[in-house]
Amino acid sequence: MGDLLRRLLRQRKAAVGGSILLGFIVLALVGPWLVMDPTDLVGRPHQPPSSAHWFGTTGQGQDVLAQTVVGARETLAIGFAVGALVTLMGALIGVTSGYLGRRVDDVLTLTTNVFLVIPGLPLAIVLGAYLPSGPFRMVVVLSLAGWAWNARVFRAEAMALRNRDFVSAAFVAGESRARIVVRELLPNMASLLGSSFIGNTLYAVGAQVGLEFLGLGDVGAVTWGTNLYWAGNDAALLTRSWWVFVPTGVCIALVGFSLTLLSSAIDEVTNPALKAPPVATTAVRSTQSSSADAAPPSGALLSLRDVCIEYATERGPSRVVDSVSFDIAPGEVFGLAGESGSGKSTLGYALLRLLPPAASIPQGRILLDGTDVTALDETALRAYRWSQVSMVFQSAMSALNPVLTLGDQFHDTLAAHGRTTRAAAHARARELLTMVGLAPQLVDAWPHQLSGGMRQRVGIALALALEPKLVVMDEPTTALDVVVQKELLQRVLELKQRLGFAVLFITHDLPLLLALSNRVGILQGGKLVEVDTAERLRTDARHPYTRLLLSSFPHLSAADAQVPADVALAASERTTAPATAQGGGR
Amino acid sequence: MAYVLRRLGFYLLAAWASLTLNFVIPRLAPGDPASAMFARFEGRVQPEAMVALRAAFGFTEAPWYVQYATYLKHLLRGDLGLSYAYYPARVSEVIGTGLLWTLGLAGCAVVISFTVGSMLGVLAAWNRGGWLDATVAPALAFLGAFPYFWLAMLALYLFGFGLGWFPLRHAYSHDLEPALSFTFAADVARHAFLPAASIVGATLGGWMLSMRNTMVATLGTDTLRLAHAKGLPPRQVMLRYAARNALLPNVTGFGMALGFVLSGSLLTEIVFSYPGTGYLLILAVRNQDYPLMQGLFLTITFAVLAANFAVDLLCLWLDPRTRAHG
Repeated sequence: MGDLLRRLLRQRKAAVGGSILLGFIVLALVGPWLVMDPTDLVGRPHQPPSSAHWFGTTGQGQDVLAQTVVGARETLAIGFAVGALVTLMGALIGVTSGYLGRRVDDVLTLTTNVFLVIPGLPLAIVLGAYLPSGPFRMVVVLSLAGWAWNARVFRAEAMALRNRDFVSAAFVAGESRARIVVRELLPNMASLLGSSFIGNTLYAVGAQVGLEFLGLGDVGAVTWGTNLYWAGNDAALLTRSWWVFVPTGVCIALVGFSLTLLSSAIDEVTNPALKAPPVATTAVRSTQSSSADAAPPSGALLSLRDVCIEYATERGPSRVVDSVSFDIAPGEVFGLAGESGSGKSTLGYALLRLLPPAASIPQGRILLDGTDVTALDETALRAYRWSQVSMVFQSAMSALNPVLTLGDQFHDTLAAHGRTTRAAAHARARELLTMVGLAPQLVDAWPHQLSGGMRQRVGIALALALEPKLVVMDEPTTALDVVVQKELLQRVLELKQRLGFAVLFITHDLPLLLALSNRVGILQGGKLVEVDTAERLRTDARHPYTRLLLSSFPHLSAADAQVPADVALAASERTTAPATAQGGGR
Repeated sequence: MAYVLRRLGFYLLAAWASLTLNFVIPRLAPGDPASAMFARFEGRVQPEAMVALRAAFGFTEAPWYVQYATYLKHLLRGDLGLSYAYYPARVSEVIGTGLLWTLGLAGCAVVISFTVGSMLGVLAAWNRGGWLDATVAPALAFLGAFPYFWLAMLALYLFGFGLGWFPLRHAYSHDLEPALSFTFAADVARHAFLPAASIVGATLGGWMLSMRNTMVATLGTDTLRLAHAKGLPPRQVMLRYAARNALLPNVTGFGMALGFVLSGSLLTEIVFSYPGTGYLLILAVRNQDYPLMQGLFLTITFAVLAANFAVDLLCLWLDPRTRAHG
């Protein structure tokens, strides 16, 4: 909680919102002693602002300034009281429901959902009409009409916390359920309690003003709502007395706005994704170093020359890929290995210029068939993506668009790179699905109807749709079980034989990579420490980091007896691949 | 299909719960508000009508479950009793026309506001940190902090009383007979403009912000990364891949917020003396017309439940995953 407050204080939104709210709280506390009695009839009705009455007079001749200032007190008091009460009710009901589960949960959740769909104002009016008048009535009515939303939010939070270790520990230690709820669960919801309280106060002020405007408040009291009620009753509009209702409305809006700012600030602190990330300034690309000017070896499909990638952070640029150079020949399988954070995925994304806005390529060149990818403009880049280089994501399962059928996703892709009809695109999709070993009827299926392995196959089919020269595979099989993984890789190698595309295979699984690739690059801390053929790396790796990586897979020392025989077999056939590649690629 | 039936079952349960609340609240209230309520009819109503009225609300000497059964029986026949304020009109007749105006006004305003707000949210998230995101969003949020009815008062003051561009009250001019003609429709539109505009103004910022936030989250997903990788045109990525997915949670949120927005629009009606249920509600409160008040509570609640069901069906249509789990 303390940490949360400290981070909040550093935020501009929180500072502005907090100051406005604090100002009104002070006004509500001391203001009433500084102004005249708001109920006194001090002048003629509907007088415009003057030196005697800064905000003019009401339809009954009361001082508008005094009414506005005094109105703050009861409005805010009831607002905070209802805000606290609603939060407490919601938290208790929601946490009980979420923590106890089963029957209790079913009943409480159903009740909560029913109260959620019953509109609050009409319910509050019926309740209010039958209860005796007074501030107490307002608190009861607003709490009863407004608790449900909180119960729902707190239930979800309690469900998430219930399975955490410290709660289980408390349970094993024999603490009572009530004690666990009060001592373990609620304190861990401090930030949720805080933001709910703010949200509920916002609701309470708005609803209270609305009910009082209807005449359901104590019309004798001075609150912001009754001020507006009397403004309506005394025909402020008809007499063109804008000063009667404008000050109160502006005060309500300022309080509401300050609460909105505070809750949005809390959201941003607890959910950093909402805060705009730093964007890389388009840095002046440093002049190419001499090695970058060196012409790529003739025959290379892809050449990386001194590629650097930097992320803009709040503490300045951070280099995640540092002067990486390597080549991939047509039809070659190039493996890129390294632990997480070594920059291997970033490098893969860079080939398609898919880096997030915070990342930039300040230096180096990425040449594909002689075209500098880093220099492409928007239109050229779109045409280049997928038709030249495509990609299979580790998360192909979640990468497919859940609301489009597979056929439509193929159609989108084909249509973006040339004219095609829907029927033609679907026919091509069927062909591609068959190619990766899926039933062609799946063209009309939605992604959620497929298993993880099937979706990964769709990802591969999609990557081959435009017959690209290079397919980047970023941990394409990591999330799959071993059997599915093996089948899939065999299929990829077969297709590679047939179509002749080159593969950049990125994974942390070095044995797999050695079995699969012609050549392997080892990435450590953004630097390419070693590049060599798979055979040579297996037996005499030079860089100590490579040897460390190799030794962490003990079975490799025994001349990779553990490598799946059929994958190795397929891999050994690849030597013929570059020859067919020239004909197959287009 | 099972999903639809489950949702329908839930709304029926919610409807029953609101019926029962309506039955219980007057009986739990301290003092004897029921007697007070019927006392208001004394002298205006024939004794036999009085008995019928008590029966309609189930206020008889019988035990509570018999009262409850009578109450339900009358409700099933659509009998909500007699209005005090509009005596001798039946509550159901009084509410009937009012409900049409409310649904027309609030319905249009809410749909316009949600559509425009969501589109603004999509654009704000797509051009994050741009002028829409940095200027329009906070400005609309500030506008949204005003009570709906206060914005209505201001709009009426400025454009009705001040500039005289729009009519000051009611849903159509008194010299016109309601008819299916262009003149009448134009007149209704002119009368609805200010109330609808103030509801839109008050709610636009909320829809924009929530769409913006889900859209920002969607933009960071792998679905979007794949869409970009495939070289799709930006407009297609924005609408078909990002907005289409970000819309789903917002439509659910739209259903949740309906009751709240409707409450606000009821207050707006009062400012414009718009002859909808909100205007009837304040008449009921001022005249302590309990039968009308309770009838309005039930009608408005049922309307919101029906709207929520419609939103569920919309979600079903929008999201193939819901269809599958059904």
